[in-house]
Amino acid sequence: MSKIKIKNKLRQFRFENNQMTQAELADKAEVTRQTIIAIEAGQYSPSLELAIKISKAFGKKVDDVFEYE
Amino acid sequence: MNRTQKIAWLFVITISLAVVSSLVAFAVLHFIFGMPKAAMISSSFIAIAGFGGFGPMIFPKDKGKIVCDERDTSINRKAALAGFAASYLVVGLACMLPFSILGPRATIPVVWLPNIFMAAGLTSFFVHSVVILVLYGRGGRNE
Repeated sequence: MSKIKIKNKLRQFRFENNQMTQAELADKAEVTRQTIIAIEAGQYSPSLELAIKISKAFGKKVDDVFEYE
Repeated sequence: MNRTQKIAWLFVITISLAVVSSLVAFAVLHFIFGMPKAAMISSSFIAIAGFGGFGPMIFPKDKGKIVCDERDTSINRKAALAGFAASYLVVGLACMLPFSILGPRATIPVVWLPNIFMAAGLTSFFVHSVVILVLYGRGGRNE
């Protein structure tokens, strides 16, 4: 299985946004907390739609939150 | 661990229990009753697997606004595909092995057909559940 090459700064941006919890981010992105955990841990690459939702939750661009290695 | 994982665990446990107890019963009863009675009685132990069907009733729905998202859908789709592939393999083997071993002119009892159907179903559910557990990361580690 190929290793996921998309890095993210979810944890960093959560703490920069008043220490937003994973549950709060999950609610904003309309996904389960398990999915946020998996994305943060680099175990799951979100769809483009979800990546945009997550970025919007932080008020950032997709490029700022996600990075392709 | 979410509801899907709990139901998957129930299926893995009940199907494993059903198959193991059936094999043990067959091994024991074979010496007491001989064939085909031993095979008939031991195959009834497969009914244990039916308890897996109570999973959706036993486990309550997950709390929270969102209970299923794109990752859950993707995992379920992959698991279903793996389950179907495995059951196809079972049916394929059940069809081809007697043909290869016994030859094209041999006959087999019709009673094998529902057994093949049951084996394919059990395989499908088992593989589906195992793949769900594997893809979710065997549950609850980072939660």
